[in-house]
Amino acid sequence: MKTMRISQLAGAALLGSLALAGCGSDNTSGTASTAEASASESATKVECFSGTVNAEGSSAQKNAIEEAIASYGEACADAKLNYNPTGSGAGIKQFIAGQVDFAGSDSALKTEGKDGAQSEAAQAEAFCGAPAWNIPMVTGPIAIAFNVKGIDKLVLTPAVAADIFSGKITSWDDAAIAALNKDAKLPATPIKVFFRSDESGTTENFTKYLKAAAAENWTADPAKKWTGAGEGKEKSAGVSEGVKSTDGGITYVEWSYAKDNKLGVASIDNGGGAVELTGEAVGKAVAAATQVGQGNDLALKLDYATKEAGAYPILLVTYEIVCSKNKDAEKGKNIKAFLSHFASSDVQKGLEEIGYAPLPSEVQTKVVASIDALS
Amino acid sequence: MSALTHVGTEVSTDRSDLMAKSSGRALRDRLARFVMWGSFALACVPLVWILVSTLLKGGHMLLSLDWWTLSQNGITARRVGGGAAHAIQGTLLQALVTAAMSVPIGVFTAIYLVEYGRGRLAKVVSFMVDILTGVPSIVAALFIYALWVTTFGFQRVPFAVTLALTLLMIPTIVRSTEEMLKLVPNELREASYALGVPKWKTITSIVLPTAFSGIVTGILLGLARVMGETAPLIILGPYTKSMAHNLFDGLMGTLPTMINQDRTEALQPAIDRVWGAALTLILIVFLLNLLGRFVGRFSKVS
Repeated sequence: MKTMRISQLAGAALLGSLALAGCGSDNTSGTASTAEASASESATKVECFSGTVNAEGSSAQKNAIEEAIASYGEACADAKLNYNPTGSGAGIKQFIAGQVDFAGSDSALKTEGKDGAQSEAAQAEAFCGAPAWNIPMVTGPIAIAFNVKGIDKLVLTPAVAADIFSGKITSWDDAAIAALNKDAKLPATPIKVFFRSDESGTTENFTKYLKAAAAENWTADPAKKWTGAGEGKEKSAGVSEGVKSTDGGITYVEWSYAKDNKLGVASIDNGGGAVELTGEAVGKAVAAATQVGQGNDLALKLDYATKEAGAYPILLVTYEIVCSKNKDAEKGKNIKAFLSHFASSDVQKGLEEIGYAPLPSEVQTKVVASIDALS
Repeated sequence: MSALTHVGTEVSTDRSDLMAKSSGRALRDRLARFVMWGSFALACVPLVWILVSTLLKGGHMLLSLDWWTLSQNGITARRVGGGAAHAIQGTLLQALVTAAMSVPIGVFTAIYLVEYGRGRLAKVVSFMVDILTGVPSIVAALFIYALWVTTFGFQRVPFAVTLALTLLMIPTIVRSTEEMLKLVPNELREASYALGVPKWKTITSIVLPTAFSGIVTGILLGLARVMGETAPLIILGPYTKSMAHNLFDGLMGTLPTMINQDRTEALQPAIDRVWGAALTLILIVFLLNLLGRFVGRFSKVS
């Protein structure tokens, strides 16, 4: 009998701990930092809903959408928004399977099917019962981040960058680099390239850029897996850590990581003069992109080789993929309310602080119009 | 003085003589001892390493009350604050429901196998349990995904996770309960039959109470195992930062998915939270194991 009582005790302890955990609360506003104060002030015009919206997809926009969710949640306490950064491919799959309300993706829905299968766009349309739209929301610049003692400004052309990342240029005082940076005292430190050892959309976009802007110097096809020279490190955190701790190190990484680790960021000269990486310069490149989607579908084609003055060309655009017409009208209204908030100038401006670039106003106007047309 | 030294040397030579005679065995003994302690130490290295590093990196998170009472609602990777209450609660809730489903099935299967099972059916059942034991968690998760989402067209909900976990928990419960029931001496059963007690009553009032604490230990250990499972959660139970109580609608945060969510972050607040969540999970599983051992101490079937 004694044993019985002890086991009952065990059960009671289990239940008790569960009950204790049940007291938890979602009210975390007490610990909110001052940075959010400005967001909540402007939040008065936010349209609220009560309910849940689930999204899944690209990890590149995780921090941006989390920020938008946090500021939306401050204005609308009853709205529950979830974003799971499982990757663009997974996000699109779950969206087509009806498991999430919208998807985040680094590339627009593919309009051509592979191996006789239906294309992503057709599958999404079949699920929605109406065309699915790609709405560009977050632009993430890729920085060429470096760490060379005594150098805080560096200009690179795509050709020189391609030579550095393919291992042809091995020293910082190479004549090709010196020709671009006449004022800098370049040391004879060997160049140490760090690359992403995992498969990554950042690698794909960066190699796409090298291929498009310097096809003669970069011959490999763009891919998620790195084909150039250097030492592999896992994830963005790994490569930025590598550069930070190595004199002479260089890598390609999301701007936010370069910022957080206080690394030097190279200016890019595509042929129209050196362009420093700023939110505005990225916006210019986004504005110069051509729209390949129809009507309110804002799928963009970036011109990596753009020679436009003041446009920073290495970037990726993350889309929110939504049904233009939701079967559940209530759900459609909720998605619309959140995306309007995400696309609003206040939220977009705040993104620059954390390493993303705000949408340029021309594109933002189109995005807002598309969101307004959702139902 | 000299006499003493003399005696001393004599004794020592005697000993070395003895050693010489059995030096082969002594050497083997020493070697075996060295290998044994060496492997023990080697096995302890990762354990101690994990415990120490999670404690050092995540220990301070657990000290604040917020950690146990608040969720991550409205907290981003850049902000300090919030807690893990949503994840702790989700993990415990799912474990409880998993136990509620798998304990009856597991225990009854074990009773059938030990007390009733004869012939082909019992062999088939036993074989199936063996197969189920070998099913990797990812396969169980994908099976439930195929059933729940692809076939039935339902949403991914926490209940689907508990279904996958149930698949993983049943075989461990069947096996441990079976062992415990086998330990109950046959004399007890025979004595009961001799008094004219029917079989079902013998099982419920003689066999089960005797093996009770052993069964509970097995259940708690099985529960501790499924709590740390991650594959079913990643496939079937997307993470949410806010509190969730409903198993049949919406998402629910759990400790493993909380770790998974921020594990690639380079920002300090997120890193701290990941370590904190890892330590919390270790702590809960450890407590359950401890509880299992504690109950097990009283399982003296004899």
